[in-house]
Amino acid sequence: MAIIEARNLTYTYPLSEKPAFKNVNLSIEKGEFVLLTGPSGCGKTTLCRCFNGLIPHFYGGKLEGEIIVAGLRTVDHPIHELAQHVGLVFQNPENQLFALNVEKDVAFGLENLGYPRDEIRRRVDWALKVTGIYDLRSKPPFELSGGQQQRVAIASVLAMQPEIIVLDEPTSFLDPLTARNILEVIYQLNRSLGITVVLVEHRLDLVARYANRIIVMNNGEIIADGEPRRVFLDENVKLVGIGVPKVVKLYLLLKEEGFDLGRVPLSPEEAYEAIAEVLAHDRG
Amino acid sequence: MSMFDGLKYRSVSSPIHSIDPRAKLVYVCVLFVISVLFSQLIPLLIILLIQVPLVVLARVKREWLRLLRGSTFFALLIFAMNVISLYFYGASQSIYSIIEHALAMSVRFIVLVESFSIFFLTTSPDMLGLSMEQMGVPYELCFAFTTAIRFIPVLAEEAQTIIDAQRARGLDLEGGNFMKRIRNYIPILIPLIVSAIRRSIELAEAMESRAWGATKKRTNLYVLNMRRRDYAFILLSLLMLAVSLYVWLAIRIPSLIQILEDLNIL
Repeated sequence: MAIIEARNLTYTYPLSEKPAFKNVNLSIEKGEFVLLTGPSGCGKTTLCRCFNGLIPHFYGGKLEGEIIVAGLRTVDHPIHELAQHVGLVFQNPENQLFALNVEKDVAFGLENLGYPRDEIRRRVDWALKVTGIYDLRSKPPFELSGGQQQRVAIASVLAMQPEIIVLDEPTSFLDPLTARNILEVIYQLNRSLGITVVLVEHRLDLVARYANRIIVMNNGEIIADGEPRRVFLDENVKLVGIGVPKVVKLYLLLKEEGFDLGRVPLSPEEAYEAIAEVLAHDRG
Repeated sequence: MSMFDGLKYRSVSSPIHSIDPRAKLVYVCVLFVISVLFSQLIPLLIILLIQVPLVVLARVKREWLRLLRGSTFFALLIFAMNVISLYFYGASQSIYSIIEHALAMSVRFIVLVESFSIFFLTTSPDMLGLSMEQMGVPYELCFAFTTAIRFIPVLAEEAQTIIDAQRARGLDLEGGNFMKRIRNYIPILIPLIVSAIRRSIELAEAMESRAWGATKKRTNLYVLNMRRRDYAFILLSLLMLAVSLYVWLAIRIPSLIQILEDLNIL
């Protein structure tokens, strides 16, 4: 069974008349790295809030249809129970760190769950090492850079050892290089720990290479869902105006000029290889 | 800001810093009681002076001196108020004893500031929150306390950004009389409050996502343990209290004026 399953999901915020998204059908398998994208206000963030029960438990409003995450119907289970299965990382790292040092912050979730102290210590150290911030463990959060803060935020949901990590634009406050390092950390979580990742992101240039599935939303509906190479060539997607990676644009331009690279590249490295191959073929 | 710097924790390692916050709390309470107990100048001066080695030991001299400097205004105010009220409304006393009494009140204030600053300068807010928790203060309160401290620098930075932004739009913060100056700050305060509320919603979301309130029996990564020297520190504080009580009950404390008169200086 899929780890996230949504059927005919429609949600309307309180005091709002128009639903934030409607009739969303979605099924995410364990171990997938899903990129969720679309223009601002398309309902991505709202959808993320459904995964760990913030909707409807925290926000109220009207949720219709059904959503089951890690085998639990989110409407029937409190947020703190769902939080152990789904870790949510938010956009602004500053507003998700509460403690006066890193270590204490990473321990926060486990403390709330009442884990024994040696277990907390073990998991905190593990999470700090996995995210590469073990050396920063006794620093106060305001002495950290944005990228380091976001690593702390990731470590602190990771410490609860969830099966799914949902990240809502985790790099939008970061410069491209730091963003890339964070994405690399997330990719490793998916690769080596088998954690299912749902990543909301605009910077498709940076993320395309990691995802094995892309979901594009527009106006509260899913308009494309599938393998990145296929989705980027979708006509609907082009109309929405999401930032298709430059290498994909290059591929399309070359194709118009009569050079078929064979395979849609997702990173400059892939594009380089494909072009080199075509050139070698032409010479030969 | 300079005055509040004297209450802001600095992470230095010193014997005073490593004393358990609860032991230091006992010390602060004892000093509070003692300074309220005595209203004569001589004992208050003694209390003021015996705390100085503690400040030196804690290596926070500079911050502490800055705090004292910051509190001179209030000390002078207290002095003036006392002189005026005793001169006009008090029983007829010599001007010297009025001055001595007013001086004693100012010194009492400084002693209180001094002991509180020793406490706050040497106790990390984290440890303070933790000791509150272990003393049975509800966790929600302790959390609110440490979170408030955690967000002070964040909000300060944000306030500065808003001030800069409003100035760039031509807001004049300096001009005008007192009321006008206060009104000038409205365009700073409103965005600051709005963004603080937004921030608090995001914080609540993040807390919920980290299993806030999952169990009544919350555990803690750190545990404070009282060591022998913490008990020794408490014992010392209590001893000070006992001695003071004895002095207060059994000995008639001479005033400085009397001593000076006896020595034929006045």
